[in-house]
Amino acid sequence: MRLRYAMVCSSNQNRSMEAHFILKREGFDVCSYGTGTHVKLPGPSLREPNVYEFGTPYKQMFDDLRRKDPELYKRNGILQMLKRNLAVKTAPQRWQENGPDGHFDVVFTFEEKVFDMVVEDLHTRDHILLKPVLVVNLEVKDNHDEAAVGARQTLALCQELEATDRWEDVIDDVISTFERQHRRKVVYAISFY
Amino acid sequence: MAVSQREQALSLLAAANNHGDLAVKLSSLKQAKDIFLSADLALLAAELFPYLVELQSSHEALVRKTLVEAIEEISLKTMEYSPVLMQVLLTLLSDDDSVVARQSIVAGTHIFCKVLEELALQFHRHGLVERWLEDIWSWMIKLKDTVFQIALEARSVGPRLLAIKFLETCVLLFMPDNDSRGHNTEAATRSAQVFNVSWLAGGHPVLDSVALQSEANRSFLILLDLLRSASVLPGSITISVVSSLATIARRRQVQYSSVLSALLDFDASFIAKGAHNASIQYSLRTAFLGFLRCTHPVIMESREKLLKVLRAMNAGDAADQVMRQVDKMLRNSERASRDARANKDEQPSSHVLMSGDMPRKRSIPMDHEHLGSTDLASKRIRYGSNSNTGPVIQSDSGHDHSVNGASGRVPPLDNGLTPVEQMIAMIGALLAEGERGAESLEILISQIHPDLLADIVVTNMKHLPKSPPPLTRLGSLPVTQQSGLPTTSSQVAPTTQNPVLIAPVSISSNAISTPLSTTATSISLQADPKRDSRRDPRRLDPRRVALPVGNPSEHTMEDVTSLTQSGPVELEFDASALFKRQPPRIVVPSIENTSEILMPKAETELHIPENITKVSQANQSSLKEQVPDEQAIQVGPEVEFNIVSDVAVSPIDYVNKESDAQKSMDTVMTDEDHTLSLVEADQLSPSTVDTPVLEEASADLPVVPSYVELTEEQQSDIRKLAIKRIIDSYKQIKGTELMQTRMALLSRLVAQVDADDDVILMIQKHIVSDYQHQKGHELVMHVLYHLHALRMSDSAEESSVAVVYEKFLLGVARCLLDALPASDKSFSRLFSEAPSLPESAFKLLDDICCSDNNCGKDIRDGDRVTQGLGSLWSLILGRPHYRQAFLDIALKCAVHPKDDIRSKAIRLVANKLYVINFISEKIEDFATSKLLSAVNRPISDTEVSVSGADDQRTEGQMGSQETSISGSQISEPGTSENGTAMGAQSDSRSDSSMSPAQAQQHLSLFFALCTKKASLLQLVFDRYDHAPKSVKQAIHRHVPILIRALGPSYSDLLCIISDPPQGSENLLTQVLHVLCEGTTPSADLITTVKRLYETKLKDATILIPILSSFTKNEVLPIFPRLVHLPLDKFQTALAHILQGSAHMGPALTPAEVLVAIHDISPEKDGVPLKKIMDACSACFAQRTVFTQQVLAKALNQMVDQTPLPLLFMRTVIQAIDAFPKLVDFVMEILSKLVSKQVWRMPKLWVGFLKCISETRPHSFHVLLQLPSPQLEGALNKYGSLRVPLAAYANQPNIKASLPRSTLQSLGLASEPHLQQQQQNPAASFNNPDKSTKVEGTS
Repeated sequence: MRLRYAMVCSSNQNRSMEAHFILKREGFDVCSYGTGTHVKLPGPSLREPNVYEFGTPYKQMFDDLRRKDPELYKRNGILQMLKRNLAVKTAPQRWQENGPDGHFDVVFTFEEKVFDMVVEDLHTRDHILLKPVLVVNLEVKDNHDEAAVGARQTLALCQELEATDRWEDVIDDVISTFERQHRRKVVYAISFY
Repeated sequence: MAVSQREQALSLLAAANNHGDLAVKLSSLKQAKDIFLSADLALLAAELFPYLVELQSSHEALVRKTLVEAIEEISLKTMEYSPVLMQVLLTLLSDDDSVVARQSIVAGTHIFCKVLEELALQFHRHGLVERWLEDIWSWMIKLKDTVFQIALEARSVGPRLLAIKFLETCVLLFMPDNDSRGHNTEAATRSAQVFNVSWLAGGHPVLDSVALQSEANRSFLILLDLLRSASVLPGSITISVVSSLATIARRRQVQYSSVLSALLDFDASFIAKGAHNASIQYSLRTAFLGFLRCTHPVIMESREKLLKVLRAMNAGDAADQVMRQVDKMLRNSERASRDARANKDEQPSSHVLMSGDMPRKRSIPMDHEHLGSTDLASKRIRYGSNSNTGPVIQSDSGHDHSVNGASGRVPPLDNGLTPVEQMIAMIGALLAEGERGAESLEILISQIHPDLLADIVVTNMKHLPKSPPPLTRLGSLPVTQQSGLPTTSSQVAPTTQNPVLIAPVSISSNAISTPLSTTATSISLQADPKRDSRRDPRRLDPRRVALPVGNPSEHTMEDVTSLTQSGPVELEFDASALFKRQPPRIVVPSIENTSEILMPKAETELHIPENITKVSQANQSSLKEQVPDEQAIQVGPEVEFNIVSDVAVSPIDYVNKESDAQKSMDTVMTDEDHTLSLVEADQLSPSTVDTPVLEEASADLPVVPSYVELTEEQQSDIRKLAIKRIIDSYKQIKGTELMQTRMALLSRLVAQVDADDDVILMIQKHIVSDYQHQKGHELVMHVLYHLHALRMSDSAEESSVAVVYEKFLLGVARCLLDALPASDKSFSRLFSEAPSLPESAFKLLDDICCSDNNCGKDIRDGDRVTQGLGSLWSLILGRPHYRQAFLDIALKCAVHPKDDIRSKAIRLVANKLYVINFISEKIEDFATSKLLSAVNRPISDTEVSVSGADDQRTEGQMGSQETSISGSQISEPGTSENGTAMGAQSDSRSDSSMSPAQAQQHLSLFFALCTKKASLLQLVFDRYDHAPKSVKQAIHRHVPILIRALGPSYSDLLCIISDPPQGSENLLTQVLHVLCEGTTPSADLITTVKRLYETKLKDATILIPILSSFTKNEVLPIFPRLVHLPLDKFQTALAHILQGSAHMGPALTPAEVLVAIHDISPEKDGVPLKKIMDACSACFAQRTVFTQQVLAKALNQMVDQTPLPLLFMRTVIQAIDAFPKLVDFVMEILSKLVSKQVWRMPKLWVGFLKCISETRPHSFHVLLQLPSPQLEGALNKYGSLRVPLAAYANQPNIKASLPRSTLQSLGLASEPHLQQQQQNPAASFNNPDKSTKVEGTS
């Protein structure tokens, strides 16, 4: 069964993009989004993040940061990340504005806050299609290493879901098994399009 | 154009139906759909739709799915031609393929909304509703009920989720959206569900807002029920229900408080096994957070509560964040929102409708109804290519208008009414709902605040007639029930309500209405001439008419109302009497079985010739509508008419089984009518199944014969299905009234199914799923006792019944073990109360307790063992018959190799079981035998080796025998080779006896018993001597625990102590030690031990523990014996003596101890001098006890003794070695000795001199006190002293005091050169010669 996936984190940069990257490489039908109001990237200090609007191309951010402080952004991996991202898609997208992208079967979030926002957002949308959507939250710290691990586990879970005939019937089992195998806590919710 | 389209569509449909390639089928169907969408359906529909309808029986799920999609599109676009398609939709709702079923629900939902909208708009625009729309709405009602069923029952989760969503949609549609303050955004964005019941505020001929609202309530209650039954639902369903309820609460704040309390009450610990608890919890959290986001005043009120709950869920941060957002939003838009609110408030009032214009309202819908029914019927018949559909459709029409009918009678609700009025209206609506409403009504009333309830009653008083009507004769009828009805009806009621008539009317109408639906043609033909339009049979629809007995008056009233308005009363009664004569039994089931009917449908399509399918479907779907309730318990034969007939065609078919089950049920119940109808059905060949059959079925019942032959296989299938059905139906029923019947039925059925695993498994699942709440235990007992009774009464069947019994019992037991936590007592209760226990039950218990075989399992095994043992306990107590067997298991556990299990079992046996006198002996025997086996193990080993040696002797190896005889040291090769039976043992044993662990294992139980009965210890003492080392170790390990556990009551122990067996001294000593440890030994114990010491056992060791309680006079006589003991024991004894008892103080002070040691005479007391010396050293070793002062005191005492102790000088030297500061004191002692003429005591003299020599130069003045001959001797012996002494004496002040003789012996007769030599000895002062060993002085 071919499912359509969305990967969602806060800024659509690290966690969701890592997962997007890996799933795309594995041939999944996948998109990615962020739920924040802006795209934030670490800056020279905690108080001076680099803030962009959603829709700003990754390439533009890449050039911007490379111009500002190539050493710093190379050291903290931001440039590499942006380079990876711009190979995946053009620009970060905002979840709340993804209506035109159609419906997804499975949405992965990587942070409780994001999960809440996605569920609430789906709730406020019109449920016209009456198409169930599974929202899964896998808590992943926002750093490169954790994102890589999280993305791999997401892939594993997606493969599990893909292997099932209909996820509605077996979701409890799939989630529990995943939790056992990967020793991760996962929470899921069900909403509709 | 139209013709070509028609042909094109025809060929496409044919291809969709018959083409071999699935892709072609699908694309053909899609193309056909496009044609339908573009063409003028007025021309095509009648001819072509039947072909489309045919596709529903396609074998390809994808085709069916595409068909559903096509139907959706066509229906949404050209609704007026699509009623015929709705039946397909309805059928496919319960399609076996969940994709198709889901698509059907989705399509149904869309069409449902659209139809509602259309209904409202059409009336709005044109002031009337077209008949086709009414028709399609009647289909929608059926669809809605089917979907509700799916929400409750479907096996597949996917359709269920959607069905729940549909429930939510229904609630939102039907519940007035009269206040969406704080939900501006949501309301604004929500364009899909534009319809709302508040549109009907102005009245509507078809839709009755009150009925719809009560429908909403019903949906809402179903959702709440689902939430309550979360323990049997998959997690995803529970989550969906929670989120649907949350949505409802947010959008229809009327329900907020009920939703909130339901969610707060939701016990997440009680969810189904396997459901993902964290996610369910999270769904609650999401719901609460969602509430926080709402700014509606009702919801705002509960913010504190929400915050508290969220904090408890660790969602405090998220909650705070939401609060901040909301507050910010509120502040920003305060004014705007206030404006919006004001506007909203005005809205409802604009919808205020003309109230109580009864005549108009009533007449209009009725006319519609009438026209609708006939017209529609003909239309349908026209549409249907198959004549079978005709009557079916007509029967539907009997139905459609039930809603309208209701709408005519109850005044519409005004949303602007006061709460009291609203509530009254609501109650009225529920009353109008009849039986279905009764449940909701009860709940509603029970939840109304007393104040409000009082208001309601008071408000209603207005409507009471001035003079008390005969109504009062009805007694218990609540007044409020009439509240919602218009005054006209309540005034009419008293006049016509003859109590005698009430019952017949209600019952008969029940009977009437149902045949109408199934045998519509015949009956309506009969009825029609006698009727005028208003007394159309559809008025008697069961939904309104079949009221619970509880409120007959209301229902009668309605009827009567209509009667009084519409025509001669007796006609109505005639009609009802006419139908009453028809046996209602055949009819009632036919209604009620509908909840089940939908399931087999899909398969029916596959196997049964088409016309039958249609009949059955049509019937089913028409019937379905009439199910008065979900609680369809009785099984009806109606379906069999259609389905049973093809048993031969596809015997394996699920449908057949289903119908078989029904038959069996009937057979079991020996209901004549049921069987009659069945047989008739059986006799029908597929080709004759047609409408006439239906007529016959109800009209010519008495003709039918009475018995049906079923094959064995069928019978068992039927039974299985019957069981399944009872179980399934029972899920819906919350009450307990039918519990007994159900149990009896199930138990008999189980007895009949023989040992069928599936069935038993199914029942087990059911039972365990909700063991406590559904009275699973009672059910199990019922079944078990029934089986048991069967077995007892019928010996022939014994084996099979016994097998079933055993399987069932064990199955349930296992399930309980798996499903319930180990702390649950259900398992033990099951075994305790089961009528008999088979062998395997013991095995199961054995497995649980001695879980050797499942060592790989998780940690909860420990708990399982506890559970098993707990069960054993109650079983031993409660089942005397099997006591021995249970006891054996418990005892087996008590010597289990695993410590954990063993200790638990021992606790059980020793603490709980041993106190029971009738089994204590057995326990004791067992424990004793285990103890003996442990102790005697070496002997048996010896025997083995002897036999081994015997074997070997024939081979000439004589040596082995000697070894074996010599005792327990068996390590010769013979033993390891000889074992067949003993092989394992000898292998495990590298040495002569068992390992300490094994010994422990065998002894633990016995010692545990000893704590309860100390006299048992005698045996331990008796056997101690012969026990192998490891056993002794084990004993020693146990004794302290035992003695401590025994506490002060050890009189038995004293007996043993007073006469210990040979060889048990070590044990005795240990016992005494433990006994005295930390406490003052009792007087008894002291006497006993003393006596023992005096009489039998001369070993002072045994006295050591009680020494602390001895007085000085008691200690002194035995002191030499103590010193005689090995050094370590003496040290212990010493400690005891010095420690003393709490109130008497120490028996001896340290100084006295020293003196006592010195007082021992080697000759007299028979203690070797070496021992005494060791004792002294031991004292000196304790520098903190035997301090400087102590030594001084002791020495002071001893120096005055005559004779001086032999070791006195040695001790002095040791003292000065240990404490150099004592030097001055020692000098005094030495002086005293000089005065005592120490030189006369040769042994001391040596020591004295040595001491002098070692303590120079301090000793010089003592030395000088010696008479000159002795001084001379001393100086001769210790030459090195001479020079320094001379130098010392040469000092002017000393020299002056010295006698001449002394000076002479020093050679100090004024020889000045000696003065110079003074330096050398002074330099060596700090370096006394220590090379001489102290011991050397003796």
